[in-house]
Amino acid sequence: MKVSYRWLCDVAPGIGLTVEEAMARLALRGAPVEEVEDLAAGLRDIVVGQVLDARPHPNADRLTLCRVLGPDGEVPVVCGAPDVRSGSFYPFAPVGARLPGGFRIGKRKIRGHFSQGMLCSERELELGDDQAGIMLLEGAYEAGAPFATAAELDDHRLDVEVTPNRGDLLSHVGIARELHPVGQGGIVLPAFPASAGAGAGLEGSFARGGSESASAGVCIRIEDPELCSRYLGAVIRGVTVGPSPRWLANRLRAAGARSINNVVDATNYVMLELGQPLHAFDLDRLADATIVVGRARPGETLVTLDGEARPITPEMLMIRDADRPVAIAGVMGGRDSEVSSESTDILLECAHFEPKQVRATRRALGMSTDASYRFERWVDPATMETAVLRAVELVLAAAGGELDGEVIDACPAPWEAPVVSLRPSRVRHLLGVEFSSTELVALLAPLGYREARTGSDVVDFVIPGHRSYDTLREVDLIEEVARTYGYDTFPSALSAFRPGTVPDDPVFQLEDRLRVRLAGDGISEAQTPALGPPRHGDVPLLNPMSADESHLRRDRLPGLLTHLERNLARGVRDVRLFELGTAFSPGENVAAIPRESARVAVVLHGRRAPLQWSGASGRFDVHDIARVLELIAGEACPGGSVVPAEACAGGRRGPVLDGAPLLVPERCYQLVDATGAVVGWGGEIRAGAMDLPPWAGTVVGAEVVLPSSPAAAVAVTARELPDQPASQRDMAFLLPAGTGAGDVLEAARAGGGRLLEEAEIFDLYEGEDLPPGARSVAIRLRFRARGRTLTDKEVDRSCRRVLKKVKGATGVEPRS
Amino acid sequence: MIDELRRLREEALDAFAKARDAGELERLRVRYLGRKDGLVSGVLRRLGSLSPQERPSVGAAANRAKKLLAEALQDRLGEVTAARPETERALDLTLPPRRKWRGSIHPVSQVIDDIWRIFESLGFARARGPEVDTEWYNFVALNTPLDHPAADEQDTLYLAPGLLLRSHTSPVQIRTMERYPPPIRIMAPGMVYRRDTYDATHTPAFAQIEGLVVDEGVTFVDFKATLAEFARRFWGPGTQVRFRPSFFPFTEPSAEVDVKRVIVREDGREEETDWIEIMGAGMVDPAVLDNVGYDSERYTGWAFGMGPARVAMLRHGVRDLRLFYENDMRFLGQFT
Repeated sequence: MKVSYRWLCDVAPGIGLTVEEAMARLALRGAPVEEVEDLAAGLRDIVVGQVLDARPHPNADRLTLCRVLGPDGEVPVVCGAPDVRSGSFYPFAPVGARLPGGFRIGKRKIRGHFSQGMLCSERELELGDDQAGIMLLEGAYEAGAPFATAAELDDHRLDVEVTPNRGDLLSHVGIARELHPVGQGGIVLPAFPASAGAGAGLEGSFARGGSESASAGVCIRIEDPELCSRYLGAVIRGVTVGPSPRWLANRLRAAGARSINNVVDATNYVMLELGQPLHAFDLDRLADATIVVGRARPGETLVTLDGEARPITPEMLMIRDADRPVAIAGVMGGRDSEVSSESTDILLECAHFEPKQVRATRRALGMSTDASYRFERWVDPATMETAVLRAVELVLAAAGGELDGEVIDACPAPWEAPVVSLRPSRVRHLLGVEFSSTELVALLAPLGYREARTGSDVVDFVIPGHRSYDTLREVDLIEEVARTYGYDTFPSALSAFRPGTVPDDPVFQLEDRLRVRLAGDGISEAQTPALGPPRHGDVPLLNPMSADESHLRRDRLPGLLTHLERNLARGVRDVRLFELGTAFSPGENVAAIPRESARVAVVLHGRRAPLQWSGASGRFDVHDIARVLELIAGEACPGGSVVPAEACAGGRRGPVLDGAPLLVPERCYQLVDATGAVVGWGGEIRAGAMDLPPWAGTVVGAEVVLPSSPAAAVAVTARELPDQPASQRDMAFLLPAGTGAGDVLEAARAGGGRLLEEAEIFDLYEGEDLPPGARSVAIRLRFRARGRTLTDKEVDRSCRRVLKKVKGATGVEPRS
Repeated sequence: MIDELRRLREEALDAFAKARDAGELERLRVRYLGRKDGLVSGVLRRLGSLSPQERPSVGAAANRAKKLLAEALQDRLGEVTAARPETERALDLTLPPRRKWRGSIHPVSQVIDDIWRIFESLGFARARGPEVDTEWYNFVALNTPLDHPAADEQDTLYLAPGLLLRSHTSPVQIRTMERYPPPIRIMAPGMVYRRDTYDATHTPAFAQIEGLVVDEGVTFVDFKATLAEFARRFWGPGTQVRFRPSFFPFTEPSAEVDVKRVIVREDGREEETDWIEIMGAGMVDPAVLDNVGYDSERYTGWAFGMGPARVAMLRHGVRDLRLFYENDMRFLGQFT
């Protein structure tokens, strides 16, 4: 809601708040000001200039030579307008002044005459489109006075954030009421300049009826009382449609609205003042001078004011004449019956429409207007008569004409103010502070909630019309109590609490541990959206913002890779990212809810350690990702093992991208959990799967599905430390091509028996002196027994078993 | 000759392993690697007797063996002398420390974690809910009828009619209360989705944190006190907290919570910030409690929702939200 501060002061003369104070108070009343604009900011240099005399320029037809009295006395001014009036006042930009557009006025010589300043048009001051001539100021002014103040243009426009429950704040009176509760000066509706005071004499002149009413030859009938409970129509004949008077156009502009013509501006003015949307029809365009409020007939269309042909449907409520729809009720009028410069007789509509109906219609049509915005948030039914009379008065003042007959009042369902009961005990229950019935009445009365009845433990309040849509429950009144008492007035005291029944979610705990582990391993946590372009198996969105974010990702790794790509594209060469997030896979059928799983994904590229003096550390490869998989398994998958994908028969090969595996199948590991299920993958990313700069090296990545209910961490049972020295033996094997070193190690471990404490590969070598593809592997074995020193004999025996096992499992013999 | 080298290597490694002190290792060095009489050097010297075809491979093997043995000797020397201070060799302590990569936890995760630690100490537990949810959980059960303008506030991404990406973490309130009886004291961090385009303050997917308390005797006073306590612990004891009326369909009374922090400038001067909006909150609307089958005459509660990314922006002086989601290593690497 855009609010003119001047307008606000006019409807609440006793308000006594500066712009800043008004903003601060609005914030504390729940309607913060998002933006404030000083409307006179561009007019600071402009003053009122009085033209002392004016004569035609001797060397040009269209120019006038003036003497202008300004702040620095008399100066000569050459003016481009031919009709400058001596003695009159105009906005004047002296030498050195800056116009709102930024143009600076200098001393110029025009056709042989000096000009020391400029008399301005509305357009030059950005006050309107009228560039026909310079802007004549009616009335008497002090020459040299600041123009903005003199012309009452020194205003501020406040953009007030109005929450959806407060339709009553969508007007200047509504905002004033909130700032300035009843009983502190009250709200006044200021008199219009040049008004004959027509409104005052109209009071009570209503042609009251039920579903149907008529006056001045116009008949109004309501077919759907549930959707339109009341329709007021005023017939004004003999109007002259034209530009609005300057004060009206200025006022609308100050509140962020555009001036259209004097009749339309009058309806908009009343809407901005009182919150009641109105519409003006050209009466001659209404067939049989009839208004019918009812549903659209099948197959009807309507071209609205904005020139759009609207596909209306029978659920929509329309305003019709005898033959056809002429407006979409509460949303927008039709173009055919719009008030134009030819109109002389008009019908002003002031109606009450059901909020949900207006909302459904404007949503179905994909549009929103100032009127529909207000109707769907509730318009005060108790203000309708004031609004229609105010509009009549303003049309008469601005466009002339006369009210014909009485205001037609079709009212099939008269509004009744709701009554809501409030228990002081419930107030204390929710707010924690004791209020007596008397105190509650004192708090609520200034907001318009009238005490209807006070019982021993309950007070009934009559709800005012402007709050009668959102304040219908006891708790709604309790909010009003809290708001008026002041949130900051309540004490703030911590009290004891009982522990809750909900246990801390173990997946969050697992994620905490993974974060610490992976960050500790030198990897940085990323956050990427789960949204991406369509890929096989992804879950589509119904209303995506863009094709790039039209699907929910089935795996996290592809998304993380795009962020690796972006880093490389920016020249960042060492990239280590991990991410914790949700992946989505389609449900059982199209309408089913997708399955979600928590994932951890990792990508690595570049050097294993930062550049430094102690030499190169090598670059990340699949063996690093295997280690990361083990790290993750340690937290997420106790008892799990990381195995080459080949070794895992029937397992998934991991994420698929563009129809091919994302990971190179020969360079891929799987994480297998204790039950044998594959829960993760890691390996080298297929080069074609990414868009990388030519200098990029190997990229490795991994993704693991986190368990939905991770097992509680089992405490480690500490082993006793050895009390005896160990015996160490080294063995070397020559592995033919195709034999896995890990298999040899595994066999060695298996063959070592109870005495084998540890076995590790400590040298791996391939070279020209070995057969092609063959490798030499050296394994160090450490033997130890509890309680006694091992003899060489025992160790030799164990070594023989190791060799036998290795030979049996892999066919490999030790090197001589 | 290759075999001889192999044998020499094994023999030498064995001898190194058995050596007990630096003196012994030095004798072994002379024996195997000595320039004049070393056995490996001897092999190299005899290369000339080989055919030109054999020479390169044997030479390479001999050099490799020499290098391997030199390293092994050095390792062993390190082992046998480890207990004693190094005095012979001068170390250059002006060198930068030996470096490893430092990983980092995402700044938004750090904020969530810091917030969680505070609420954990106030008796809260974390709860989780699905990111794809139904209109019932996202709107209707939260007292937000779809035909009310409040449902417009968040432009929602849909998967199918009635099925959507949650636009806030509040559905977790409903799911948790359906599953557990009062008292409830939970926090629900998680990703939420809106139909927004990327700009300095919006992304289509972002983190949110929800909090919910429901029990007998929970009042507006507790609500204010707990959130004020949180704010002072999070932003410092000098932090002022302001509660402004607002509107959320699922709380009544509703409030926006602002904080005014005291920041210490580099010259030690303390300075107050402006009021900064940090969360939406309020007393749980009785209709929400009714929707999950709680007795709203008996139980009362309060709830809040906040955007940790916004808090992270304030904390780190980040002006553009998108930086958090671009995942540039140079940005993330600052938060180690």
